[in-house]
Amino acid sequence: MGQSRKISSESEDSNLNSVGLVVKVKPMAEIKTGDFVVPGDFLATAEEFVPGEGAHEEDGKIYSSCTGVVLLDARTKRVSVFPRVSGPPSLKGGGTVIGRVEEVRDQTANVYIGVLKGHENRELPLPNLGTVHISQVQKGYVKDLHHQFRSGDIIRARVLSAQMGSIKLSTADDELGVVVATCSRCRTLLERENSKLKCPNCGNVEFRKLASDYRQGAL
Amino acid sequence: MEKPEKLIIDGKRLDGRAPEEMRPLKIEAGVLKRADGSAYVELGENKVLAAVYGPREMHPRHLQRPDTAVLRCRYNMAPFSVEERKRPGPDRRSVEISKVTRQALEPVLFLELYPRSVIDIFIEVLQADAGTRTAGITAAAVALADAGIPMRDLVSSVAVGKIDDMIVLDLTKEEDQWGTTDMPVAIVPRKKLVSLLQMDGNLTEEEFKRALDLAFRGCEQIYQAQRQALKEKYAIKPEGE
Repeated sequence: MGQSRKISSESEDSNLNSVGLVVKVKPMAEIKTGDFVVPGDFLATAEEFVPGEGAHEEDGKIYSSCTGVVLLDARTKRVSVFPRVSGPPSLKGGGTVIGRVEEVRDQTANVYIGVLKGHENRELPLPNLGTVHISQVQKGYVKDLHHQFRSGDIIRARVLSAQMGSIKLSTADDELGVVVATCSRCRTLLERENSKLKCPNCGNVEFRKLASDYRQGAL
Repeated sequence: MEKPEKLIIDGKRLDGRAPEEMRPLKIEAGVLKRADGSAYVELGENKVLAAVYGPREMHPRHLQRPDTAVLRCRYNMAPFSVEERKRPGPDRRSVEISKVTRQALEPVLFLELYPRSVIDIFIEVLQADAGTRTAGITAAAVALADAGIPMRDLVSSVAVGKIDDMIVLDLTKEEDQWGTTDMPVAIVPRKKLVSLLQMDGNLTEEEFKRALDLAFRGCEQIYQAQRQALKEKYAIKPEGE
């Protein structure tokens, strides 16, 4: 396997060396797992394989749609491209996000999702509005959602599911919940006192579903 | 510079190239740290940077499209990029180039995957010597691939033209200025689609066919260089290197 891969990369190099006088890489050349491809490279015919991640079908043929390494699965007949570039982040179940609570209703809190963990340097494509249902706020029973979240809170949450148009979030874990909150009366940052939050300015006491590292600066 | 008497002497151009020869080309992917994707292209004396951001939330909101993403392009020339200082900011020319660049790149993107979002492309010309729009498109295509945005194919672009009654590849500033015709072309290499074709000057039908054919061959060279740039940056290197 390794032997054959090496031979193929050599022959490919000889094609690329002649940049001046182009010898075109044969589009029908057999592709193998581990080959490097760029967008538009031919991978397989649609009769043989199903396009997976990083591949797309066009006129009965499968082409790469990203820069990376080919992955041929002979058993499931799936051809995908494992990306070597970091693409746009996509929200999937299991991911951790940081967001801002926009609105708190009786049953749900709407959250504007700012970043996905692991993709801190990249903005999210839309839709980026998630909801936390009252049953997903913490492990126990929640009587009033307004005692857990207030609009303007910065929270850490886990993505439960992200289907077209609706992103469901959960904060039912120790490290999930509010990481920064402000006083609803005077907007100064609240300080933690055991399980309560106290305003250093006006003495107002509030309650939240706190993350274990409330206001410790970590995302 | 004075107008030279002839632009082609003994089959050689002013800079010593053959008619169908391109200027030296250098492409580098992923040069900007803070951009989502970026590329740098040097084509002779041209120096062009392209940066890609997104797909991200579109502002202003009324420009969002509920069904697809929007591609936004900005082609900009640095004030120091030309011999006489250029007044900074967008002008008639750069607004037009931004538009044709956007239209040259749109066919290779899966914009429908990111409804209500925007993909921003910024092309900055640091040094200009004719053919900056084609260098910009070439750089932007590599930058889009560097950003990991799903694409059908790359886009390669080069200019052809007519000087001294001869069809030549990749005009320089002098050739553009004193020549008869300048024709930038962008091509989607795999399907051989033309996604940009502009012309300044005139060609007969026969000349046009030869020019377009030459542009296709030029774009193939550009395409191989684009591939090589991505390969150098992202291919898994054998161990011990």
